[in-house]
Amino acid sequence: MWKLLIAFVLMAATTASAAPASSASDCDADSQDCVVVGKWNVSLAIGAGVRSNPLVHGQDLPLVVVPQISYYGKRFYIDNLDVGFTAVDGEANSLSLIASPGYDRIFFYRSDLQNIFVNLGGPSGPAGATPPPPVPFPSRPREITYLAGPEWTFNLHGIIGQFDVLREVTGHNHGEEVRTAIEFPVSRSTNRFSAAIGLTWQSAAIVNYYYGAPGIYESGSALRPFLKLKYSRPLGPGWRFEGIAQYEHLASAIADSPIVAQNYVVTAFFGFVHAF
Amino acid sequence: MRFSLGSRAGRCTAILVTALLTAGMGETGSEIQLKLRPRVCTLAANETQCSTTVHADWHSPREESLCLVILGRSDVKRCWEHYSQGTYSIELVFSDDLLFELKDARLETVLASQALRIIREAIRYRHRRRDPWNIFQ
Repeated sequence: MWKLLIAFVLMAATTASAAPASSASDCDADSQDCVVVGKWNVSLAIGAGVRSNPLVHGQDLPLVVVPQISYYGKRFYIDNLDVGFTAVDGEANSLSLIASPGYDRIFFYRSDLQNIFVNLGGPSGPAGATPPPPVPFPSRPREITYLAGPEWTFNLHGIIGQFDVLREVTGHNHGEEVRTAIEFPVSRSTNRFSAAIGLTWQSAAIVNYYYGAPGIYESGSALRPFLKLKYSRPLGPGWRFEGIAQYEHLASAIADSPIVAQNYVVTAFFGFVHAF
Repeated sequence: MRFSLGSRAGRCTAILVTALLTAGMGETGSEIQLKLRPRVCTLAANETQCSTTVHADWHSPREESLCLVILGRSDVKRCWEHYSQGTYSIELVFSDDLLFELKDARLETVLASQALRIIREAIRYRHRRRDPWNIFQ
């Protein structure tokens, strides 16, 4: 099934490559939906926030400085730690092959790149200077992993959907993950207020790689639904205020692990964003 | 059909010759030659202004008293008295085409002119990735 999806995206890429350009003809200005090809986009959010850590003795992650970096070529792009190749770039639908880091490592290592990206200068100093939070059991490394696979997104009258089917490709757990989310605009005025619901499915291989204890706790696959609210208010050229709150529920396959203390992850951030 | 093609080719040749003559002799057709380096400034997609050092050279078969000016830029003016050639270099920051003119000492008659043109790289856009799964997007 997974190979079939990859083949489909590659076929779409081949077909699209024959076209003179992507069908992004509705994009004629730098905006919320469109971006300049060949330009680095850097923004920095400075504010106050926190992401809870569900691990036993896990330290919550303060969010103070949140950098965002992206670069879009004609088809290739870098979106923070994700990279992608867009086969079809249409007004309503987009089809890409992406690679994205495994998410759960952030709870085990403060120095994980995904944490560096959301906390360059928190009160506890630079990320990496802080030792990993004590995880009593099991004490074993969780390596940096990358997942890759096709991503389909759509924009239907402002309702944005995302569907990723990913497989771990760095050889550490060989697991699969499906990421889905749909975002609804609540307010279409200058102040953008949106709500998103999503669901992450992780195979048993991924769940056990992070939360399993060999011989003590071994689980099956897990579902992780989430709800996200986001508010954005432009303040002037290059500046905006943003508030984000997200609640993610962890399935019992994860929450029942002996190293997990909470069956949820809460993230909140309020701050000012400057786009350079 | 062949006549039509020949006629079109003739018109193209005439335009080309006219353009070459104008470029070589300046607007007025005088014998004073003005050359600019560079003649074109190319802006990248994320740039709005050209910033470069422009070198202007002029030559004349006779001694002349004249001034080099830039149209619309009264701050730039360099004059020579009884010279048959001259050079002038200046650092400029500009966002539109510049027209360099050699005028007589009274600044009444244009003896030669050259344009320094700006070429803007075509800016292309594409859709930003839609990633509602990501907390910060």
